[in-house]
Amino acid sequence: MSHFYHFDTISLHAGQILDPEFGARAAPIYQTTSYVFPDTDTAASTFNLERGGHVYSRITNPTVAVLEQRIAALEGGSAAVCMASGMAATFCAITAILSQGDHIVASSQMYGGNVSLMKNTLPRFGIDTTFFDPTNIDDFKSAIQDNTRLIYGELIGNPGLDILDLDAIAKIAADQHIPFMVDATFNTPYLCKCFDYGVNMTIHSLTKWMGGHGVAIGGAVVDGGNFDWGASSKYPTISEPYAPFQGIVFWEEFGPSAYATRIRAEAMRDFGAQMSPMNAFLLLQGIETLSLRMDRHLSNTKAMLEYLSNHKQVSWVNHPDLASHPSHKVAKKYLPKGAGSIISFGVKGGRDAGRAFIENVRLASHLANVGDAKTLIIHPATTTHSRIDADALVAAGITEDMVRLSVGLEDIEDIKADFENGFRATRKIAES
Amino acid sequence: MYFDVKGRKVFASTGGKPFDNSKPCVIFLHGSGLDHTFWGLHSRFFAFRHYSVLCLDLPGHSNSEGPPLQSIEKIGEWLNDVVEALDVKNISIVAHSQGVLDALEFVSNHPERVRSMSLIASGLATPVNPALIDAAENDPDKAVAMMVSWGFGTVGHFHQGPIPGYSMVAGGRKIMLGNAPQELATDLKACDAYRNGKKAAAKISGPIQVMVAGKDRMAPRKATDELIKHLKDPEVHLFPESGHMLPQEAPDECRNLLKHFIFTNNPAD
Amino acid sequence: MGFTTRQIHAGVTPDPTTGSILTPIYQATTFVQDSVDEYLDKGYSYSRSGNPTVRALELKLADLEGGADCACFGTGMAATQATMLAFLNAGAHAIVSDVAYGGTYRLATKVLSRFGVEFTFADTSDPAQVAAAVRDNTSLIFTETPANPTLKCSDIAAISEIAKQTGAVHVVDNTILTPYFQLPLELGADVAVHSTTKYMDGHNATVGGAAISKHEEHAEAIRFIQNSTGSIMSPQVAWLTSQGCKTLSIRMDRQSANALAVAKFLEAHPKVAQVRYPGLESFPQYELASRQASGYGAMAWFEVEGGLEAGKKLMDNVEVWTLAENLGSVESLITHPVTMTHADVEEAERQRVGIIDGLVRISVGLEDAEDLIGALDKALDKI
Repeated sequence: MSHFYHFDTISLHAGQILDPEFGARAAPIYQTTSYVFPDTDTAASTFNLERGGHVYSRITNPTVAVLEQRIAALEGGSAAVCMASGMAATFCAITAILSQGDHIVASSQMYGGNVSLMKNTLPRFGIDTTFFDPTNIDDFKSAIQDNTRLIYGELIGNPGLDILDLDAIAKIAADQHIPFMVDATFNTPYLCKCFDYGVNMTIHSLTKWMGGHGVAIGGAVVDGGNFDWGASSKYPTISEPYAPFQGIVFWEEFGPSAYATRIRAEAMRDFGAQMSPMNAFLLLQGIETLSLRMDRHLSNTKAMLEYLSNHKQVSWVNHPDLASHPSHKVAKKYLPKGAGSIISFGVKGGRDAGRAFIENVRLASHLANVGDAKTLIIHPATTTHSRIDADALVAAGITEDMVRLSVGLEDIEDIKADFENGFRATRKIAES
Repeated sequence: MYFDVKGRKVFASTGGKPFDNSKPCVIFLHGSGLDHTFWGLHSRFFAFRHYSVLCLDLPGHSNSEGPPLQSIEKIGEWLNDVVEALDVKNISIVAHSQGVLDALEFVSNHPERVRSMSLIASGLATPVNPALIDAAENDPDKAVAMMVSWGFGTVGHFHQGPIPGYSMVAGGRKIMLGNAPQELATDLKACDAYRNGKKAAAKISGPIQVMVAGKDRMAPRKATDELIKHLKDPEVHLFPESGHMLPQEAPDECRNLLKHFIFTNNPAD
Repeated sequence: MGFTTRQIHAGVTPDPTTGSILTPIYQATTFVQDSVDEYLDKGYSYSRSGNPTVRALELKLADLEGGADCACFGTGMAATQATMLAFLNAGAHAIVSDVAYGGTYRLATKVLSRFGVEFTFADTSDPAQVAAAVRDNTSLIFTETPANPTLKCSDIAAISEIAKQTGAVHVVDNTILTPYFQLPLELGADVAVHSTTKYMDGHNATVGGAAISKHEEHAEAIRFIQNSTGSIMSPQVAWLTSQGCKTLSIRMDRQSANALAVAKFLEAHPKVAQVRYPGLESFPQYELASRQASGYGAMAWFEVEGGLEAGKKLMDNVEVWTLAENLGSVESLITHPVTMTHADVEEAERQRVGIIDGLVRISVGLEDAEDLIGALDKALDKI
């Protein structure tokens, strides 16, 4: 009886108002700083958030707005705000609600940038974090304090690829009236719509699978619209008057988009991490093929899991879709299409073999990014984590023989052939 | 703003300015299952132009204490209680969908209190599909999906709209889910049972503005024509492309019409 | 309104949807029609035939040149090519400046000649030689003034008069002086062509061209060729070029002042054999250059004592000045035409028109004149 447009249609159409002047089929790139007002009353009312519209491209921009509304639609959130990078999104998303003296409970398995933000940067501003083991719900519960104002995690953890049990965490968070924010970069809304499981906000590094082509850096915060900011006095940035906008109370006037509006009104104005219109255009184009690409990422991942699991030079393979993975069951629940396209595996022969493998593959690019259309690999022990000893590596969940693979869209036979070259070079080291 | 009406806590957004009953007042009335945030693109505008604004949450909805009221007639009486509790004079009513029925009841019994009425996307009666009422009681997700699906037109379904980054379909859904199942089902049953529209309309004179959505699937043209026929000299505006959620789908045009009509008929110095 | 006001505002109106003060970049292939009956009511269907961002630049350039209309192209050569194709059929004859840009020379001799078009390369600095080259089938006269790199000037008004009497179209490549300094259409020419890559963009960011017609029918003929051959400008390029145009006049003022200072310095330097800059009183056509233009531009050339070898040494050693093709940008550039821009022109032809082996071409940019002169001084010292 009800009908809503489906994912692929939304990927192509949502958020774009067909240009009324010329009918341009693609969203125009509004490479402009400012917007001319037809009259002073429109100017005043737009400034004062009485109506929608654009004032200055640090706050909003029509091309970026198309991307924002498309992401909100794909995620099923009430509003989205785009930023210059995924890290900018995380920072603005947190500081929109947390202040000095507040506390975060965060998963210990996260992207290094997120960990560093919470471990090193936010404490300078009086915001502390307790990290919990994402596979241990009791560990999570005991980390919550009186001043905890945010629960944060990545659905697909890094580097262990453990999966957060969204329902279980969301229930505890809701009982304590604490918002639950998830970095959904590795899953994208195509693999999991986090808001369906009680998550309140999501973060995206659009640089990765959403954009998908490695051409633009960008981030987004999506407001699930499902957290009642006025139900306690814990979140004064949203439930109390905000002086810069004549004492506006975001919770009162914007209801389901109160949080996103606060980010817009404060973070975009004061921190200035706006996404450029050109990047928004490029990312929009990437999103047009999101589901097609993700399907291919997943089918290639499946083939690589089979290939690696049966390879003589491979000592172990880690991915939540493998029955041996500790999060396998949880992954099946939240990520039924597949648990993403990152695989880690061990090369027989340890650190030297890992290095040899990397040096002898050609198709796979050796770099630290993930989520590109192209296959990417890295050997953490000799690159990102080269300066730490074996014990510290173990603590970080990294082994000396570990290779991280971001499976791309190439013909699967070519990826395998490329890997054969890499493994051939490791054989001698492993046998010696 | 929270205040007390006959011992129960009531919430109204005042559009970002403190409430002042010496000013003319615009009262915004939301439709079934919704709340005050439906009017975000209208309320603040009037509050910053010398009007007092009351964007009400009906009893039991969002921030107002329950239980929800069982009939349109009771909501009409309750509106009078609100007006008396706050001692409001020089009222302009802006109502959408079920709010229109609530307004007809209130104004027909207390015409002296009201300077103008703006009635949006409604008929004189709102017979409700029994499947929808059933869903509202037993399967709120389904009921909300039906209402949101029918309620929004192209602008909503394509997540367009003038607030950068905002998806009105998702936003509307969140509000309704928050008010389901109890309030939504009660609202729908109250609408379905309401029979007094014609009589109420006959008792109303004074300036009336009607906005009709051309692609409205909740209040079809036959119903809105019926409302227009029974009102005295209403000013009628058609939005050919809009769905039922007209104040959100075409906010700028809607606000402009409200502005001219209310500024003319209920001036605030 | 004045040129500087027009270079900013002509062709641009705030976006009616959002108020965006700049024309959006319509990076779109196609334009949705409201209905079959309203096809093209909004002016656009497919970006090869027209694009709103490109159109804004076209309207601006038409205004600045004082033409009826303008078509923008992917390159300056595309503008020249479409203009030639618009007015030359097989069996037709064209007179082209013998000192025209090397690419124009190549297009005429190596490409259009294959399609049965005949060319005469005449010394257009002498109108009598143009008149003498006219034939019954002459349908186009193409001049470039001042010419690149010799800076030889052609009398636009006199040649336009000859063209009028012949029934030929007079096309002037106005790249070097831009409409800020020289208005060929006002002087009687029919079409002005540009490499917008040069002063219009001004920042070495884009490659583009334009053809501005005085008469609507000429504009239509050019646009027809453009739509048939597809040599369009991209919306991104048009947008950047529009941005560049906003500072055209102030850049031209500064760059030409720098050029005069540099030329005077070189003229006084003992190691410099000869200098050509239209703004020097010693310039052979100083009178003509002063009469038909309000400024002298920012291109000059010189030859150092010691000829080619000394010149190469200077170019390899000079700081600040960049050894590169292109001209007209904010960066000062130094070029050796014989081995770079005009390498395709046969040696005999080069010698005949005055592109001598030791000729060092300079495009004077926006840097401080002291730095430009200081760098040349230092490099000359090393010779």
